[in-house]
Amino acid sequence: MTQDVRFTRRELMKLGGLLAVGASLPARTAKVFADGAQKLLTTTRIVWIQAQSCTGDSVSLLNSVDPDPVDLLTRFISLVAHQTIGAAQGQTFMDALDKAREQGEYILVIEGSIPLDMPEACVIGDSTVESLLVRLIPRAKAVVAVGTCAAFGGLPAAEGNQTGAGSVSQLMTRHQLPIQGRLINCPSCPTHPKCLIGTLAYVAAKGYPQVDPELLTPTTFYGHSTHDECPRYHYYERKIFAKYLGDQHGCLFELGCLGPISYTECPHRQWNTGVNWCIRASAPCIGCSSPHFGKRKDFPFYRKGEHQHAVAYTEQDRKGGRP
Amino acid sequence: MASTMVISPMTRIEGHLAVHTEISQTPDGQHRIASARCIGEMYRGIEKILQGRDPLDAQQITQRICGVCPISHGIASVLAQEMAYGVKPTHNGRILQNLIQASNYLQSHILHFYHLAALDFVDVKAILKYTGNNRTLRELRAWVERAVASGDAFAGAPFLPRYEVDQYAKSDEINWALLASYAQALELRTIAHEMAAVFGAKLPHSTSLVPTGVTQAPTIERILAFRSRLLKISHFIEDVYIPDVTTAAKSFPGYWDIGKSYDNFLSYGVFREEDSVGLSTRTFLPAGTVINGTWASLDPQRIREFVGQSRFSSASDRHPFEGETIPSPAKGYSWLKAPRYGGEPMEVGPLARVLVAYAAPGGDWVRRDVDRVLESLGVPREKMNSVLGRHLSRALEAVWIAKRCDEWLDELVVDGAPAQDFSLPRTGRGFGLTEAPRGALGHWMVIDEYKIGRYQCVVPTTWNCSPRDDRGVPGPVEKALEGTPIENPAQPIEAGRVVRSFDPCMACAIH
Repeated sequence: MTQDVRFTRRELMKLGGLLAVGASLPARTAKVFADGAQKLLTTTRIVWIQAQSCTGDSVSLLNSVDPDPVDLLTRFISLVAHQTIGAAQGQTFMDALDKAREQGEYILVIEGSIPLDMPEACVIGDSTVESLLVRLIPRAKAVVAVGTCAAFGGLPAAEGNQTGAGSVSQLMTRHQLPIQGRLINCPSCPTHPKCLIGTLAYVAAKGYPQVDPELLTPTTFYGHSTHDECPRYHYYERKIFAKYLGDQHGCLFELGCLGPISYTECPHRQWNTGVNWCIRASAPCIGCSSPHFGKRKDFPFYRKGEHQHAVAYTEQDRKGGRP
Repeated sequence: MASTMVISPMTRIEGHLAVHTEISQTPDGQHRIASARCIGEMYRGIEKILQGRDPLDAQQITQRICGVCPISHGIASVLAQEMAYGVKPTHNGRILQNLIQASNYLQSHILHFYHLAALDFVDVKAILKYTGNNRTLRELRAWVERAVASGDAFAGAPFLPRYEVDQYAKSDEINWALLASYAQALELRTIAHEMAAVFGAKLPHSTSLVPTGVTQAPTIERILAFRSRLLKISHFIEDVYIPDVTTAAKSFPGYWDIGKSYDNFLSYGVFREEDSVGLSTRTFLPAGTVINGTWASLDPQRIREFVGQSRFSSASDRHPFEGETIPSPAKGYSWLKAPRYGGEPMEVGPLARVLVAYAAPGGDWVRRDVDRVLESLGVPREKMNSVLGRHLSRALEAVWIAKRCDEWLDELVVDGAPAQDFSLPRTGRGFGLTEAPRGALGHWMVIDEYKIGRYQCVVPTTWNCSPRDDRGVPGPVEKALEGTPIENPAQPIEAGRVVRSFDPCMACAIH
């Protein structure tokens, strides 16, 4: 059932003179433009696998503007497998995965958590996602866990979950696959396209980036406190707090804002081409990049009802320090 | 003679789906799908995760059910909360919720037609013959040529590999035009998400949605940011999307006769036109059912979920207010439950919304638009229940929604309150019925001692990709696949066209 993914001979012949030029190029030339400022322009292969995911990180990838998605797909990366975007389906998809695995040298991007206690809860083709990933990870030159689910388990791994959802790092640990210098976490829910593409570009051009030793998040993108760089910080200093959800003025901390335990570039980069972001929209940060995002039942996103029921979290939980 | 044909994974949809079919061969040697099973393959257990949490968490957690249509989950949750809390939206709050949800509809419909469905129809290899002056197409050609020249085994990825069948559009001009639209649509869907973020803070997964409205006030600067983007999207829908759907319909006329499901259609209604909550609230696209051509008003008491063929050991035949979700991986054949309305499988989605609006009281403007388009295509209305009818419905709806957005912007009170304060009750229950881009979406919530006691979601693709119910009746997509002619069972491109016309979202459906 294997399909030939290459062009047919007849189609190749139509390319005419170009082939003559091409014949002098080394096979599988990785860098298309390998000079000067365009050094990041590569055709690095990306194999993208969705596990227990909502596809939000894939959609966020398409929200990229620098580069835009067309340039991204045609100049920056070679997306050899993607369940939502790729043309391949059924056996054609599985064959492409096998072929990519044989040839190696890809960056493996994993979206979503892995059901470590219930392997049947995520299946691709004839394989559980766990066994598929265990085959794909060793052949990858780097593994990028995209989004908070892949990076830290995220909401599927929240208290009371039934599938034993875990992170890519837990999966690699379970199967004794080396993590150091190989796994990079790009959390937030969803991941910010600039963090993801910036990380991929860095790995392609320079190799493994500088990461937080514990969280494995690239320090370039996750090194700054959202709270410290918040445009409403002056309100916090003067103890002027927003009173209800929708109040346009004041620091959002008393509504539950988790900026103090969040490390993202949101205040600078903002979202969706910079048109807005949570705190600019008077919406409390819900800590979506944190390893603890949504995990505890007694740690609600908002503080609206906290006087009405027992809460186990402490003020220090919300004010953080490094998680 | 029967044989088995499996498409696993069914890609270019949201999430994890496999389709198993039995193929029969007619005396003249043609293959047809005799029966089909939709197998949902990814479970997270979000309903269980919601139990015992603060009710306000729900509109954030349920958005994570789906990264393609998070807003509709946020809205369904907000509606259920407003009912349970006994509060109403502010005037601005309601309209701003509509604008965010509408923006995500436009984003989703554009994404679906071009980036999920079109690759079943467009011959991407036609790019190699391109000789015109469109910059994007010239660069696409150069990109493929470079990759081929360098001996890249994955030249043209992710557009290749694909099924190598002689069933793509034959005309170079049509292929080139659709490829140019594909590229343009990537940019436009990003702009649609920017539009949603203008009031929604960020997409996917808006933090701005709250009961009674949103947190972002409609300043004049925000309204302009929305309107300038809406103009671009509207132009694209009218000048590119509608003509492209029409072109596809004319190029593949056989698909007016393929993909027919049951004649049962359900819509919960979407986009509130009154500052209230609950069943009697008027919506821009109306609620109702059309069963065998007859319209009836919506009665949510008739909704039940069955699990006889599903991977759950919880009780079957439950109304969502009494529903449970207990996984049992070795049981049944799909992670989806089987929702039924009055015991019947129902198709939901743009086609259902259009047909319900067409038949509903006050549907004159819908009838006028639908009849005019069908007349120009020379297609009778009975053929709307088909692959092409679903694509056409989606595009028509995009036109209507974009136009209504323009009016909603004018109805906003500039700088007026986007939400109001409310308090959380000790106990309560509420349901939120809305429509995601891909169909009827309901959340049912019970509050017990200030916490979520029970939360059940019945989601569009739960209806459409439903497995067989306890009586053995197939779900709508399973039914629509029956009878589909398959030219080459090793590369069944026709089956994918049928399934994708429903725009399945499996992460939603199972949650």
